[in-house]
Parts: sequence; structure tokens; C-alpha cells
Amino acid sequence: MRVDLEDLLFSRGSFTLRGSGTFEEGVHLVSGPVGSGKSTLALLLAELLRPGSGAVRRHGVSSALLLLQFPEHHITCPTVAEEAGSWGLAPDDVLARADLAGRGDDDPFHLSRGELRRLTLACAVMRNPDLLMLDEPFGSLDCVAKREACRMIEERDAGITIIFSHERAVLPRVDAVWEMEAGALTARGSVPGAIPLWRHAPPYLAYALREGARPANIRLSDAREALCRIRG
Amino acid sequence: MIRVAGLRHRIVDIPDLTVDARHIAVIGPNGSGKTTLLAISSGIEEPRAGTVRLLGRPPSAVKVGWVGEFPDRTLLFSRVYDEIASAPRFRHHPCRETDERVGAAAGKVGIQHLLGKKVSALSGGEKALVALAAACADDPEVLVLDEADSHLDAGTAERVYRVVQESTAAHVLWCTQSMDTAAGADYVLFMEDGRVRHHGTPEEVFSALEETCFYPTMWRVLR
Repeated sequence: MRVDLEDLLFSRGSFTLRGSGTFEEGVHLVSGPVGSGKSTLALLLAELLRPGSGAVRRHGVSSALLLLQFPEHHITCPTVAEEAGSWGLAPDDVLARADLAGRGDDDPFHLSRGELRRLTLACAVMRNPDLLMLDEPFGSLDCVAKREACRMIEERDAGITIIFSHERAVLPRVDAVWEMEAGALTARGSVPGAIPLWRHAPPYLAYALREGARPANIRLSDAREALCRIRG
Repeated sequence: MIRVAGLRHRIVDIPDLTVDARHIAVIGPNGSGKTTLLAISSGIEEPRAGTVRLLGRPPSAVKVGWVGEFPDRTLLFSRVYDEIASAPRFRHHPCRETDERVGAAAGKVGIQHLLGKKVSALSGGEKALVALAAACADDPEVLVLDEADSHLDAGTAERVYRVVQESTAAHVLWCTQSMDTAAGADYVLFMEDGRVRHHGTPEEVFSALEETCFYPTMWRVLR
């Protein structure tokens, strides 16, 4: 299973997006500043936008799902249980997974931001698509909710997961890092080799690298473990 | 000086609090009452009970600049210039003075090149910078930022931080989910379930939060 970007080119006004590369099975992080084209790339990968030239080619991918930046944009039903059902899932299973037991009759818009994010993320993960794309899954969340989101992403053990995010404090374990900058997509490669090449790495990772540590992955805990190893 | 007495509004419940610091970070989980406290302190909402006084006055008698989390929901005008000019115009400043204020605010934030643009053509980060310039255009006495950095990348967030540090406001109330940003404040309020659970210098507050994910990531690795 893989997704190939073949000389992808997309233009709108003065903005141009370019990208080539292959997304293999595993968790990918596409990082980059706001406005660099992360959401546009997500829409192209989801085939909701058509490239000007080049192509997105899916191989062995039988299902795909894009979770939008603002979870309220997914809501179509008046209750949390019906919303879960609209994803083709058993509501009780979703409520348990999203830690929302007893909230089935609530209006989804009465959930907090963190709860709504948990609901849509649980639905997306439980649908278990071959290709799952998450646009800023940590936006507006406190660190407790970000950790929950990371846990749900890490529990997904198959398929291709692509996270588009500028998050710099709470991140999940990933297999590969990509960077978007002014519309240009660059593959930094597999982790941990990608970490020293990651230009916009979070401050704690940049610090660990400066100290001579070699974190095994991109989480704060990985940076701390690597620092402990060299400090003894 | 910010004084809160007997404040009860929605879930916020703050019996007594006095803060004499310039840059005040307001942190805590989603739904802990941070936005409500900021809205009351800005005069956007009247509390059900109790009072907030800024510089010895009620918030409605203080010039407050407000930057919200979602600029799309707070930007009023379709042209960047008009948005930044709104506060001076609402105060009936003469045209020439308004123009000078708009130019100065845009210069401080580094967005002079956007003044002629339509707000709808801007990126999310640019909109946040326009909202910040609009909040600064009338030299606010108190600047309030409600998770204005949630949707900003590191470079833009640093620009916001610099503008806030250089502003002439006597107080800056800044709600953020970036603990590394909050660590640079003069004073920190940690809210939970509508109450102020911890308050004090960043060292005091974060030492109480060391076992939680609210501890700044840089402090974690530097330790």
C-alpha cells in the first residue's frame, strides 16, 4: 500500500504548490508554517482538489478519509449518538472509545472543543481507512487532549496515516517527517534519520540535537531519554 | 493593577485576586473558564456577580484591545486598512491622526504591505496579525489575547510575542496553550473548573504543575 505524488503542481493566485514523493504505510508528519500549503496538500491527497499537472496515485488503497481542521465542519446530526451512527459505526463503541459514555443524547455542538475532536478522531480511527489524513488534529486543544489525540493516532497499527500540523509541543511517535515551506513539499525521510534534517523541529528537539543527543523519535519523551543517555 | 472580587459568572468563580504584573499568562485546560475571565476583563461580558477592576476602573472605562482565537469571527471590515482604522474612527479621531495610527500599528506588526488588501484574501496567520494591529491601533491600556497563537506557526507567534512585549499597554492578559510562551510571562494564572488553582511567577506556578503536561517543554529538557 502506498500513495505516490508524481510532480504534483497546483496553483491558485500567486500561490503554487509542488510535491513529489511516496507515502508508505506508517505515520507521516507533514509540518510547516501556517499558509505554507499543508491544507491544500491534504485536499489534493484526498482528491478533493485536482492538480494543475502531475498526479496523486494510490496503490492498494481501498479507502481514504480526511479529517478537517475544524471538527465542527464534520457534524451532520443533532445528537452525539446519531453523529457516530452517521459514520456507519455502533454509537456505544464510539462513545466508549472517545471517552464520552453517557453523552449520546447531547447536541454535538454542546461538547467542548477537546470532546468534539475526540469524537471525530475516534470515528475516523474506527472507520480504519487505508489512508487517513488529519489536518491540524491538535489545533485549539490543551495538552491533555493533545496527548489523547496522539494515543489514538499511535494505536492505529496499519495503513497510511498523514498528519498535517504546526504543533511544536505534543506530538505522536511517527515513522517519517515531511516539510512544507512556501508551497514546496520536501521529504526529510524516515525517523530517526529525518530528525537532524527537520528545519522546523520543535524547540525541545532542536535543543537535544544541539546538546549532541540523538532522539529515537520526535516526542518530548524521546528528547528527554536521549539527553539522559548522554548525560548519564 | 488588576483586582477581582467575588466574581461569579458561568463557571468562573474567583473570590479574591489581585495581580500587579504587566504580562499575565492565563493557562489551563479547555473549558476551564479562561475565555470567560478574559471576556469579563475586557468588558465584553458583564459578570452575574462580583467585580473586575483594571487600573482602578471598571473594564468598560478602560481602553482594551482584544485579539480572539478565530480572527474570521471578529474582523468586521472587508479591507485591512478599514479594520485597523476601526478603533480610531469609532473614537472620532481626525482622519489624519487615524491614518497615522493605522500606519504606525501596521508598521509595528510588519504588515504595511497588506493595508490595501481584502481581508478575505489573507491567510489565517495574516488575519491574526491584522487583528493584532487593529487591537493596537488605539494604544490600548490593556491588551487581551485569547489563544491568538493557537493557529499560528512559530515564526508568526514570535512576531506576535515581540509586538506584545513592545506595546505600551499597562497590562497584557494572554491566554495560551503554549506553556513555553507562558513561561516568558511576568505572572501566570492556572485555571481549572472555573477557579484559579495556581497563581504566581512562572517558577511558582509551573513547579506546582511539574507532574502534568502543562510544564513547559523547554524546562523539561533543560532540567
